[in-house]
Parts: sequence; structure tokens; C-alpha cells
Amino acid sequence: MNFDLTRQQEMLRDTVRQFADSELAPRALELDERGEFPFDIVKRTGEMGLIGIMTPKEYGGTEMGHLARMVAIEEISRVYPPLGFFFQTCHLGHYSIQNWGTEEQKTKYLPSLCKGEKIICDAITEASGGSDPTTTQTTAQLDGNEFVINGRKVYITLAGVADLACILAKTDDKFNTILVEKGTPGFEIVRRENIAGFSTMPVNELAFTNCRVPKTNLIGQEGRGLGIGLTTISVIGRTGVAGIGLGIARGCYEAALKFAKERKLYGKPITELQAIQFALVDINVDIEAAKWVSYYAAWQIDQGKDLRAIGPDIARAKLVSCELANRVAPKAVQIMGAYGVSEEYHIVRRLKDALQLFPAAGTQEIMKATIGRSIMA
Amino acid sequence: MALNIVVCIKQVPDPEHFSKVSLDPVTKTISREGIPAIINPLDKNALEEGLRIKEKFSAKVAVITMGPPQARRALEEALAMGADEAFLLCDKAFAAADTLGTACALAPGIQKIGHFDLVLCGNETVDSGTGQVGPQIAQFLNIPYLTKVKEIAFDEERTLIVKRGLEQGYMRVRVKLPALLAVNKEINKPRLTTAFGIIAAAEKEIKAFDCRELGVDPNDVGISGSPTRVVETFQRVSQRRREVIYGSPEEAVKKTTERLKEFGALVQ
Repeated sequence: MNFDLTRQQEMLRDTVRQFADSELAPRALELDERGEFPFDIVKRTGEMGLIGIMTPKEYGGTEMGHLARMVAIEEISRVYPPLGFFFQTCHLGHYSIQNWGTEEQKTKYLPSLCKGEKIICDAITEASGGSDPTTTQTTAQLDGNEFVINGRKVYITLAGVADLACILAKTDDKFNTILVEKGTPGFEIVRRENIAGFSTMPVNELAFTNCRVPKTNLIGQEGRGLGIGLTTISVIGRTGVAGIGLGIARGCYEAALKFAKERKLYGKPITELQAIQFALVDINVDIEAAKWVSYYAAWQIDQGKDLRAIGPDIARAKLVSCELANRVAPKAVQIMGAYGVSEEYHIVRRLKDALQLFPAAGTQEIMKATIGRSIMA
Repeated sequence: MALNIVVCIKQVPDPEHFSKVSLDPVTKTISREGIPAIINPLDKNALEEGLRIKEKFSAKVAVITMGPPQARRALEEALAMGADEAFLLCDKAFAAADTLGTACALAPGIQKIGHFDLVLCGNETVDSGTGQVGPQIAQFLNIPYLTKVKEIAFDEERTLIVKRGLEQGYMRVRVKLPALLAVNKEINKPRLTTAFGIIAAAEKEIKAFDCRELGVDPNDVGISGSPTRVVETFQRVSQRRREVIYGSPEEAVKKTTERLKEFGALVQ
């Protein structure tokens, strides 16, 4: 067994870490306070080849793979989780196009998406529920060479800034994945949801009213939309969330460790108090365990393993890393006392971001159901 | 104008981990065990300057280092930053070299690469800080050199106007190529490696040369070619007296001033 990252993955980790420390850390608080989408930062990550990290080189990507992607998301989220969430979300659309799209769709969309010049959102969730997409009510009826789309989507991350939406809709009793460009008549962003965490990433409600798109906007074969959506959420969404969870946990841990080394109580650093030592050790062990569960899932995707077969491993990664982030952030608050809840110390914003990981890419309960099915079979 | 630029780089212990550095009492050298190695920061500035010249004009940038097999990692990073070629001078005979022994290997290494117009290096390293290797290489190559370089501009095709820092000011110097310039950190801010650079680096080869291939006498390099002998090493212990002065800001400033005068730190 070889647990080493490749030299390329190592160099990627180091450079993303430097990028996060030098270009994201000084702006994190201000960005969150303003709540505006950081277009300049997204463009910069496009120039660095990070947005196209798992996209084939011929379409403008760097094709470094899924483990490299997870490591990059982790390093970014260690400092600024909303940008990690951007990667998690936009990659859903990238993956659908590069895996099931036509040559024309790949050539038309992927290069500008990889550069960060264009943004894509993935729209599956509806008011009827996100965990069970078979309840989708949005319809896409065929009329000649066009789909006529009607319906609403809720909690769609990035929709407010996206140039393109990759939506799941029903055509009669079959599901289709269809691309809808911004500005298409009948497609509108209804409102921005007011939610805690990932404050710079807009989450919106979408409405489709007799929205006509060419039939050539269909991704993959007709009627395969549900499979495309579910595979994408598993392979991209859950591994992405795992990376963000690891990053949030590491960010909180490093901040708490630094604080504990500097903070003096009873004339000595609080790291000399066993209660603090044990808390930091617990976090440290927790992170290491979740890291390897998560890296293993991403590594298996890179090895070309059967995606259905490794579904439970991917679910484990999402489950443990999401729990990890939500365990570590409050522990960091406890170690840091009142400083922990001060915005200046960067734990509170991470805690709010961590909460968003619970529903993202499938709830924890759906993860357990997925793992449960595999062990009870 | 097509320039051939050679950048000399060195792997050094990461200054972030200097608190873990210890001195080996037997060998009297720095123990680097468990300390990650990075490209010497000023050498990165040198590489960045080479890459900027390449982007402005037509140039080829080669990087060269002397070191053990793991020094290859520094070259891989330099290739990922954008260097075109990389050369590793690796031989047991090169080990434990002082600055002269290092320059004795690097100079023929640079000549081995082929034609060169400009040699760039960091002004000094964070682990030794002598600032001698660059000038020594230039002496061996019989080319002019300038140290503490903070700006490079082209005057004519093969003439540079170089701004070099002085203790209280700067000096502008016109220098004809070929030349060696040892840069300081004010010259630029090194770029971050990109994923594009990392995948491009995988296509580039790192060529390794040993002592024989360089045509160098083993007695001229490594410990044999190094006149420096370390007689003693010791860890400097810095001890400061600390005193806390209480009171209102006005009172505290007054008391502080009085105390500083008592110590002779303030004259008036």
C-alpha cells in the first residue's frame, strides 16, 4: 500500500496552500461580511488551472484527477470554505458535460468554464425534496426540436451568478438532464435565499415558465437524467463536501493550536494543561482518520473503480468529514474561549460554513442509507 | 533577441521550521533531519526574474543545482514554475562543499549546459548566508557580476542597466552580457506554481551530471576542494531583560523614557 501523494499532487497541495494563505486569508472576513461573489478570485483559480482540475486537457483542464481535486478543495477550505464550496458546486456541471455531453457541448462550454469566465450551476433540488429526486416536478416537454421547461428549483447554489444551469426535469415519465443558458426567455432567478454560511456563494430559487431550449441541450441519452444526476452528486458532490469538511476542520484546528500555544493561563501556555492537550489530540486524530477515509474514496475514483461499487466509500467520506467539521469547529471555540466566538479569530465563520455541509450533496441520513444498503445486502 | 538564461538554485531547510534546526556537535554542521526543504527564497526571485525576461523577450530558462538526489524536487518545482530545462549535479564527491567547492562544480555545470548569456542566482542562501557562490561562479566563468540586484532593465540588446542596492541608496550599473547577477528580494514577487505548470513540468526532463561527466577533478569539489574548516559551532542564546512599566499612557511614557536614558539607550 502506498499512502504517498504523487509528486504532482504534492506540488499542487503546496501551491494551493500558499495561494490560500497569501491571497484568501487576508480577505476572508471582508469577503464574508460583504457577501458578494468573488469573481476576481474565481478567475484567478481558473488561471491557476484549479477549476479545470479534473477536466481533460483538450477542453482546457489540467486533468489532475479526483484526489488532486479533493486535496485542492481541502487546502482552499482550510482558509476560505466558500471557495471550496464553489469548486464542489461548479464541478457538478463540469462533470456532467465532460462525461455525458456531446463533443459540441464540451467544446462550447468546458474551456470557458475551466477559465472561470463562465459559471455553471447544477439544479436538481425542488420544494418537494432534495434527497429523493424522483419527486421532481419540473417538466421538459418535447415540442419539435425543443424542450419546453416548466417548474421551479430551490436551494440552487451559484444560480445567481451562473451563465449556465444544468437541470433535472421530467419528460413524460422519464428524467432528462438539460442545459439552460442564462437569458433564455422563460428562465428567471426568482430570489436569493437568506441562509447562514458560505455567504459569498448565492443560493437561489429558479423558475421556468414555458422556457424553450434546443433539444441539442440534452446531456447524455434521453431518459438517463436521473442516473447522471445521482452519479454526479455522489462522485463530485460528496467528495467535494468531504474535502471542504477536512479543510474546515484543519483550519479550526490550526487556529486553536496556535492560540493554545500563545495563550497563557496560570503562568504557562494552555497547551501544558492536559484538558487542552487532550482536546487538541482528539481533533488531530479525528482529522487524520477522516482524511484517509476521504482520500481513499477519491483515490478509488482515479483508479477507475466501478462508481456504483464505491458509492458507499464515497458516502463514508462525506459522512465522516461533515461530522468532523461540525465536531472540530465547536471544540476550537471551546479551546479559544471568548476569542473563539469573536469573528476576528475566524472560527465562527467556519462553524457557519460547516453547518451547510449537512444538507449538501445528500444529508447524513442519506449517506447512512447508502452505506446501510451495502452492508445489509 | 534569444537569450539563454541559467538560474542557480539551492535546496535549503524551510525557514518556517528553523526552530527545529539543531547543530551536530560532532560534524559541526546543521542537522536538517525532519525539516522540509524548499528552494532558497532568493533563488526563487532569481528564477522569477528569468521567467519575466523570458515572457518579455524570447529566452530559454535553465535551472541548475548541485545536491543529493532529493534536490531533484527543487528542480521539479522550478520546472513547474516555468523553467524550460533542469540540470542536477549529483555525485558523492560534491558532498560537504563550502562555497568554493560549490562554485567549482556549478561553473563547469553551467558551461556543460551550453551557451549562456545571463546567469542569475539569489544573493545569498537562508542556511549559509555567505553571498559568495554567485561571485565565485562568475570568476570561474570569467564574466562580470553584480550583487544585491533589485532591478534589471535592458538598455540595448546585450546590455543591461542594473540597479543594485547599497546600504544607504542604490547604484545603477551598465553591464554587457554575458554576466552573472545575484538578486535580492526587492526585485520581484515570485509567482505561485499553477496546476498548468505542474502538468507541463511532467513533460520536461531533468538531466543529471556526475563529476566525471562534468570533467571536474574530484579534488577540486566537495570537501576535498573546500578550504573552509569549521572549528566550532555554537547556538547563540539571546537573553533580554524585561520590565513592565505601569501607569497612565503619559506616566508610562515618562517612566520608559527615564529608564531608557538610565541605560544609555536614549541620549537626550
